[in-house]
Amino acid sequence: MTPELSLSDVGVVLDGREILRAVNLAVEGGEWVGLIGPNGAGKTTLLRAVTGAVSFTGSLTIAGVSSPMLRRRALAQGVALVPQHPVLPHGMAVVDYVLLGRTPHLGQVTGPSRHDLDVVADVLGALSLSDLARRDVTTLSGGELQRVVIARALAQEAPILLLDEPTTALDIGKQQAVLELVHRLRRTRRLTVLSAMHDLTIAGQFPDRLVLLAGGRVVAEGSAARVLEPALIQRHYGATVRILDDGAGGIVVVPVRSQDDINASNARPTK
Amino acid sequence: MNGDEIRPSHLRWWWLAGAFGVLAGAGLLSILLGAVDLDAPAVLASLLDRVPFVDLDSGLSSREEAILWELRLPRVVLGGIVGATLAVAGGAYQGSFRNPLADPYLLGVAAGAGLGATIAIAYGPSISATPFGPLPTLAFLGGLGGVVATYAIGYSVRAGRTAVTLILAGVAVASFLTAVQTYLQQRNDETLREVYGWILGRLSTVGWSEVWMVLPYVVVASALMLAGARRLDVLSVGDEEAVTLGVDPSRVRLVIVLAATLGTAAVVAVSGLIGFVGIIVPHSVRIVFGTSYRIVLPLSIILGGAFLIVADLLARTIAAPAEIPIGVVTAFFGAPFFAIVLRSSRGIGS
Repeated sequence: MTPELSLSDVGVVLDGREILRAVNLAVEGGEWVGLIGPNGAGKTTLLRAVTGAVSFTGSLTIAGVSSPMLRRRALAQGVALVPQHPVLPHGMAVVDYVLLGRTPHLGQVTGPSRHDLDVVADVLGALSLSDLARRDVTTLSGGELQRVVIARALAQEAPILLLDEPTTALDIGKQQAVLELVHRLRRTRRLTVLSAMHDLTIAGQFPDRLVLLAGGRVVAEGSAARVLEPALIQRHYGATVRILDDGAGGIVVVPVRSQDDINASNARPTK
Repeated sequence: MNGDEIRPSHLRWWWLAGAFGVLAGAGLLSILLGAVDLDAPAVLASLLDRVPFVDLDSGLSSREEAILWELRLPRVVLGGIVGATLAVAGGAYQGSFRNPLADPYLLGVAAGAGLGATIAIAYGPSISATPFGPLPTLAFLGGLGGVVATYAIGYSVRAGRTAVTLILAGVAVASFLTAVQTYLQQRNDETLREVYGWILGRLSTVGWSEVWMVLPYVVVASALMLAGARRLDVLSVGDEEAVTLGVDPSRVRLVIVLAATLGTAAVVAVSGLIGFVGIIVPHSVRIVFGTSYRIVLPLSIILGGAFLIVADLLARTIAAPAEIPIGVVTAFFGAPFFAIVLRSSRGIGS
């Protein structure tokens, strides 16, 4: 079976700086892969390469078709992105914003068809956004906004959904709600998901598989238990962590203070 | 079903009908009023008389007929065309550059077109107002040069770039081009009279030939801008996201900017520099009807026409028998309006 999304020896250079180097990655249809790594590891750039926003070397195939062979519209019909910092147009209503997701399906001049409007209404309903349809997107709360941006991506009806740190600005409850939503949508809509994530515990809970990116290269990949390993995290994040069993088969990544740091601070004179 | 509730924004037919009503009212008022006030029923009869298979006696004298058909009507029609084009071009530039302050005048397009037209008038073969003569061609090239220079200078600024940066670049480019234009006017005294009043705009010396000269350009340019309205809505989420939605931002921007510049150049070639129409009209439409370019662009065409017809009526009646340049009237209303838009645009379009 060909993977839904496959990167082979992908490299990206931006402004003379090498951001990604020799990245190999395959995501099977229906799979959820979590992309983790320290700041500047190249997670966002990898997602941008998949959407066609940056040019790359190597090969990148979507449902077996080489990405550079796809026209922009066809690519947008195959891959949808939920950006980390979406640009919100002033005065645009939620329903109009979600309708933008239909752009790759619309004719050059013709407006949205009955079907396009039905898709938008369906997505708004599925994400409990119908009541917010007429609201200006710039007035939404963080949690509402994240659902609206996901709704726009779903309206694209692309089989591959990319999420760039979808929970960054959210409180813990909203984080869980958004990721449970992605989990549910992946099942009901048979989506293939690739998400960049920064919270390691949450990354350990939702995706099927994790890929650890550091310095523009894949340095580890596999199950959460295999990738979320203290030595790897120490090496690539420079963080001291302890991996705990959550008692229900999952794992928890807890930052701990290293003994050296504690000793150093205790050595300081105190009042 | 709450199907009505979740319908996306769209142009409602009664908005269009209302806008056409305003345009017709402005046109009629402007035809009737002037140095010689014409009788409304007689004017309507004379207009209807030209409709095929309708035969009415207007009761206008032959002098009044001439005033109506050779002076008032072409001026009102051209005023409508100029206003419609400047307004829709303003809206289109705002969408292309994602900059609420963009306007044909402030981007240096009008000044470039003015310079091109001045060169055509001063050095070209004897000018007859034809669609394919040197006048519209040089005006277009000048307008294109203006917007390209403004864009290049505005986007060469790296740190602290905001919506205002592009406009400052436009002001510099426009000042330079206007200076060259003024110099050429002074050097060519004999044509001075012909280009007199350019810098402040004028509609006073037009006839039907000017209408026929600009019409093909304006129709093509407006059609291209209207066809791109949906794409401009997509650009409002930024280039990066537009790409993920299957749109090529550079290509959209190229087509829309070329179309807006073509339309602007054509109308500047006959009317001179009339500022702020592209700011006042699209922003007013946004405030009242919504921000989607599928609403802003069509309504700007109709209401832009009405706006400039009224501005021209004020220009020729307010200090009668003298005439104020129409650019003075639009600046009188436009500059304060610009200040309001500027106040509310902080941080947008960087």
